[in-house]
Amino acid sequence: MRNRIVASLVVAVAACLTGTLALADSSDSARVGDIQYGNSLDPTGWAPLLWPADPRGFSWLHAGMLRTPSGVLYPYPPRREAGSPLQKDSDWVWSGWLQLGYLHVGGDRNAEFFRQYSGWKTGMVLGLFAFEADNPKTGQYVEFRGSRLSGDDQYYRMRGGQYGKYKIEAFWRDIPHTVATDAYPLWNGIGSENLTVPAPLVAGGSTPAEVAAVEKGRPRQTIGLDRRRAGLSYEGTLYHDWIGYVSVVNEKRDGDRLWGGTMFFNYPFKNNGGVLETVRPIDFTTTDINMGLRDVGAVWQFQLNYTGSFFRNHRRELNYQSPFSLYNVVGVPQVANIYQGQFSLEPDNDYHNLSAELSRSLKWNGHLSMKAAWGTMRQNDQLLAPVTCTGTGGIFIAPPANFTFNCADWNTTAALSQQTANARIDTGLFDIKAVFHPTPKFGWHAGLRWYREDNKTNYLAWNPLTGQYGYISENGSQGSVVPGETGIFDPRNPLYWSYVVQVRAIPFGYTDTIFDAGINWRIGESNTLNATYSFDRDQPKYRERKLLNEQRIKLQWVDRALGKATLRFSYEFAYRDGGPYNYDPYEPFYSIALPGFVTPPIGTAAFTTDAMRKYDMSNRIEHKFRGIVIYPIGDTATLSGVVYGTHDDYAGSGEVGRQATRNYGFSLSWNWQPAPATNLSANLGRDDSRLQFTNVADFEALVGQAGQDNPALGGPLYPLANQWAEKNSERDWNAGLTFNHSFSERTSLDLSYTYTYALGKLGYVYASPTAISGTQQPYVATIGTGFPDNHYHINTLQLGLNVAFTHRVGMRVFDTFQTGSFFDWHYLGLQNGLVIDHKIYTDLGPQPHYSANVVGVMLNVKL
Amino acid sequence: MSKFHRQTYVLIALAVCATFAVGVVMAAKPPFEDLRTQQPISGDAAAGAGKAATCVACHGENGIAIAPTFPNLAGQSATYLYVQLREFKDGARVNAVMQPLVAGLSDEDMRDLAAHFASLPGKPAAAVQQVSSRGYTLYHDGDPHAGVPPCQGCHGADGRGPQPYPASNAPHPAWSTFPALAGQDESYVLAQLKAYHDATRADNSNDEVMQGVAQNLSDADMQALAGYISSL
Repeated sequence: MRNRIVASLVVAVAACLTGTLALADSSDSARVGDIQYGNSLDPTGWAPLLWPADPRGFSWLHAGMLRTPSGVLYPYPPRREAGSPLQKDSDWVWSGWLQLGYLHVGGDRNAEFFRQYSGWKTGMVLGLFAFEADNPKTGQYVEFRGSRLSGDDQYYRMRGGQYGKYKIEAFWRDIPHTVATDAYPLWNGIGSENLTVPAPLVAGGSTPAEVAAVEKGRPRQTIGLDRRRAGLSYEGTLYHDWIGYVSVVNEKRDGDRLWGGTMFFNYPFKNNGGVLETVRPIDFTTTDINMGLRDVGAVWQFQLNYTGSFFRNHRRELNYQSPFSLYNVVGVPQVANIYQGQFSLEPDNDYHNLSAELSRSLKWNGHLSMKAAWGTMRQNDQLLAPVTCTGTGGIFIAPPANFTFNCADWNTTAALSQQTANARIDTGLFDIKAVFHPTPKFGWHAGLRWYREDNKTNYLAWNPLTGQYGYISENGSQGSVVPGETGIFDPRNPLYWSYVVQVRAIPFGYTDTIFDAGINWRIGESNTLNATYSFDRDQPKYRERKLLNEQRIKLQWVDRALGKATLRFSYEFAYRDGGPYNYDPYEPFYSIALPGFVTPPIGTAAFTTDAMRKYDMSNRIEHKFRGIVIYPIGDTATLSGVVYGTHDDYAGSGEVGRQATRNYGFSLSWNWQPAPATNLSANLGRDDSRLQFTNVADFEALVGQAGQDNPALGGPLYPLANQWAEKNSERDWNAGLTFNHSFSERTSLDLSYTYTYALGKLGYVYASPTAISGTQQPYVATIGTGFPDNHYHINTLQLGLNVAFTHRVGMRVFDTFQTGSFFDWHYLGLQNGLVIDHKIYTDLGPQPHYSANVVGVMLNVKL
Repeated sequence: MSKFHRQTYVLIALAVCATFAVGVVMAAKPPFEDLRTQQPISGDAAAGAGKAATCVACHGENGIAIAPTFPNLAGQSATYLYVQLREFKDGARVNAVMQPLVAGLSDEDMRDLAAHFASLPGKPAAAVQQVSSRGYTLYHDGDPHAGVPPCQGCHGADGRGPQPYPASNAPHPAWSTFPALAGQDESYVLAQLKAYHDATRADNSNDEVMQGVAQNLSDADMQALAGYISSL
């Protein structure tokens, strides 16, 4: 009987809620587009629609404002007015809103952080146009919402349907993404697949001074892209409890972004090659399809779902020219002047996933659910030729030391072992879970999850024209600087039969099996305990370990005995170990595994030290905790706090790699709504993270000498004197204050302030100067113990005033002021010029200091 | 001060002036009683019996109405009866018959009368109840697909008033303002359901709850429900 009364009240409360739901966006199986529609002008996407707060509160059943079960105050609902009849004697009623106005953007309007995801522009803007109509008798409805800040920052959405029967949604949205606003690209052809050096520069024949002079005259450009998303979805009842749904979303990303480009070996050899920051085109299309069928019965529930994602890159490659020349390091006449570079850009990708879920209610208030899924990802683009050079590449020293190669043997797709990628990864999933609550105070659950990722890609880098294996590195530039480092293996040629180069794609994959079981136990009326144990067995393929086991225990305690407060604490302990660690599991995919490989008398150089432990393969001990307190203060305020921490220890004594990570933080928030017309909230948070890493530099002079095959830490190739350690830490602060007050039903004020601060520190120590790369030895005395601290902070203040002149016509005036500062040592020195020796940079980085302001006057009309 | 800052401040100043140039007018609200904070009332039942001479003409000597269009008052919640009298008196609930009759009652009179009729034994249940009817289903289980909650949640499984949880920290509705339904005549119940359905009975916060319930009832459902309730 009690349960019936409670159930009845829940239904009654739901029936009596005022119209907040009409404004809310929610996610469901057929949702297309974004869960939240909004922009910089109105991140909520519905602020102009908000009616004054309803002083009558949240429910006709209870006086005052209610709190969530945890104790957080619900906001006052808007006092929504009924719409107007669409026609005389029509059951349809409608409402409409229009917000139109003028923005003035001032100050550093092109500051990168100010524009990052905003299309701010001085001029007329459509803040919001919204229309909704519904028929209370039939449950049919249609609604439209749209906003336009600028041509690349706008959204429009239409929904319609009949409650309980079907719904249709369509949307179109543009979101800008600014990458850099102070870029000075050297090349002609930005945005295309072909970057050429501008006159009077000569590709492969210019000096740094000449390039710097041209670079200074290049115009400032903004680098960025636009994301244009459009979608359509349908969900409806097909037959009795059977519901079908389908959605299609298409996203087009168009623009450009900063990219790389190398011509090898500038760092060790000054005035050689090139290190280039280029600009690449972005021209992607991703089409996502989600469709399925589900039946939600009282005992059985079933769902069949298909998800497909189709990525298309309309640009296959990026070709660029280097203005600089190369020279070989052995001092013989240069036979090749490689100045063309090429990137193969992202391939098209097809993804399919089919899943079936079946669940059934059981006795003891139980539930059994099972899910099976199969997926596949495939890429099969036409492959590009290994190089674009012409003539002869490489180095000719003296017979028989002829390290040259004919570009013609490599610059067509005839040089490939296959013409298309034929890459494929299949996935499989099986998941079963049982949950029982035999009594209101006690429950238990258990589950088993099996997942496999099977990589079927098997590409062999073999040139049928030459019979050689491998891939000409960096368009032939590397082999034109250092003899023999062409990137190829040839079992018939003594010059190349001992070179260790990668010849096969490594089909990484894994099988992961997780078992978990737990109980929850309510002690008295105010305390709940949860305990869960899980065992995760991971079997990676072609990795350093063939088996990883992680055991995890999680304890949770929820307490409501301390006054009105709700306290939640959780603690987790996890231990991961596994099978033997192989520091070089990749040999089967390198030339060393091919017939005809000749191991040199001194052995091959060690792949890395055998003391290396990669962080995802090493042992790990983890502790995690989290505490949450929600404390209601009187009937009008809530104070809440969160404290958390994660403590991970990785590699053991005598091992290098990631040593430890730490993450601690807290947040405090306070919300006060003393009256329907007033709301004040404040928040403060801090997050600290730290990462410690150790490694050992190889003794470079030993490469090519006896001892190079010794992987031991403390051995000749990896001496203890070459050890170094890095400590990376970041501290973030955030704070915010919001205040809303309605002076009357016609006048309201809103104020918000946010502060974000990040401080990054990167420090290092080393056992001796020999830990520093040989090329940097001249600077050892100035290296110190760390890089300068990076920091970033942004303050944003917004003040808005809303005035209703009549019941239908009002005005909003607002001002958003943002100021920020930024420092990143990566950009140090670029203000003096973007060309440094043979290194060319494209952008100066975010502005060190900026302040920008947007003031707007908006006309609000209720149609 | 930079040029753009000056422009900003000028625009803001103009907007602020415009804001406060606009008058603030609050619309008058219709009579409406918020019963969510109503406490249970008490009265002198014996004194109320002495003041009930006019009432019994329609509602009967023992609180059982003489005609099906009048509600039975016997065994009804005293607080519910008091609230109805108060609303007739202050005009929140409009009824051409009742309003003149309560015009001269004091607050004490209304409490006493309410206590008197509440103390009378309610009308016995009908010999045969419509256990497998549509009305029974609506009353006990509601119709979730139609958005109709079960009546018994607020009016009790036997129709003799709510049966709330024992006291807890959770907020409680003003249970004492929810009426008992058992023993009311079918035509009276039907008339009230139609009044909620058509929003012509909208005097207090409880009426808002009932409008939310009744707006999803069809004519046939209201008829079925009234029939079942009259059998309780």
